[in-house]
Amino acid sequence: MGTGVAEHETKHETLPARPPELAMHFDNMHQQFHSGKLGMWLFLGQELLFFCGLFTAYAVYRGNHQEMFHYAHYFLDTKMGAANTVVLLVSSMTAAWSVRCAMLEQRKGLLITLALTFLCAGAFMVVKYFEYAHKLHIGAVWGNGFHVQTADLPPELLAKYPEMTGEKLKDMGVGSFFAVYFCMTGLHGLHVLVGMGLYVWLFIRALKGHFSRRWYGAVDNVALYWHIVDIIWIFLFPLLYLIG
Amino acid sequence: MSEATHEHDHHGQLPGTIGHVSSWQTLVKVLVTLLILTVVTVAIAQADLGRLNVVGAIGVACVKAGVVALWFMHLRYDKRFNFFILVGSFALVAWMIGYILFDTMLYQHNVQDYKRDRQAPATP
Repeated sequence: MGTGVAEHETKHETLPARPPELAMHFDNMHQQFHSGKLGMWLFLGQELLFFCGLFTAYAVYRGNHQEMFHYAHYFLDTKMGAANTVVLLVSSMTAAWSVRCAMLEQRKGLLITLALTFLCAGAFMVVKYFEYAHKLHIGAVWGNGFHVQTADLPPELLAKYPEMTGEKLKDMGVGSFFAVYFCMTGLHGLHVLVGMGLYVWLFIRALKGHFSRRWYGAVDNVALYWHIVDIIWIFLFPLLYLIG
Repeated sequence: MSEATHEHDHHGQLPGTIGHVSSWQTLVKVLVTLLILTVVTVAIAQADLGRLNVVGAIGVACVKAGVVALWFMHLRYDKRFNFFILVGSFALVAWMIGYILFDTMLYQHNVQDYKRDRQAPATP
């Protein structure tokens, strides 16, 4: 047995050594990279179907209660939504840039772009916090919990419909709009928080010098995840904040 | 994509790099495009176009999602199979939303009639 191993080793002496990053069940770095990426894409496809349930709920509620959605959209601040859209788009670019830096083995650039992506995600959550805090404060919450006083109604709503009261809105079922709103933006926000955690992880690994032009799958796959989070927001922003 | 096509020098790509390196100019151009499309979305929503508001907003959102997928997510340069995973998911999403909307619109008046009948005082 021992001689067999020795023969085997001498026979393949000229072959290049297996890279230490290459897992035993892959033939080469290309195969390993593309297998990881395929897995990520399957996960992202599933993510879209996962969010699809909520988009369907939105479509059905909206189709059946157009008037209620019209009144409800006055509660959302378009400026804050637009600011968050810009922040997420910029973070998507820095995420794509971090992949470029990893591939070009620009360590400093990689650290900067990873940090910028994390900071943009943080800025998104800060804006989200102010939006949520205001809604919870005035009582614009889900289901029967909706209890906004007439004095707390959005000024634009009262300017256009002076007769409107908090009671009327509650009876109309505006609470179900906020159920959809909090579920959709909440689940999306949860994804942003997970993304922030992933970017901290990538930053630490980049500091340790883990990535190279043939070993950057983690940077690439997290960026793909981050882009899907961005794409979902691209749909949430007009549907919730813009269409009245 | 064959592996050989990645070996040539592209945007200062290092030899032996796996995948396609995007130039920083492309990334900036894509971001500017997305920001312009965001302004377009807001403008469409502000104008009173009736039902076209929804169609326009979703249409522009689809274009934006496509731009993100093709350039930021590298699908232009990636394996075709990954592209079909994304398109397939989107098709299933559209199918589910479309079919359920169709269904709920078709039977909604039955639900309304039922509610009205229940609320109406019983005839003696």
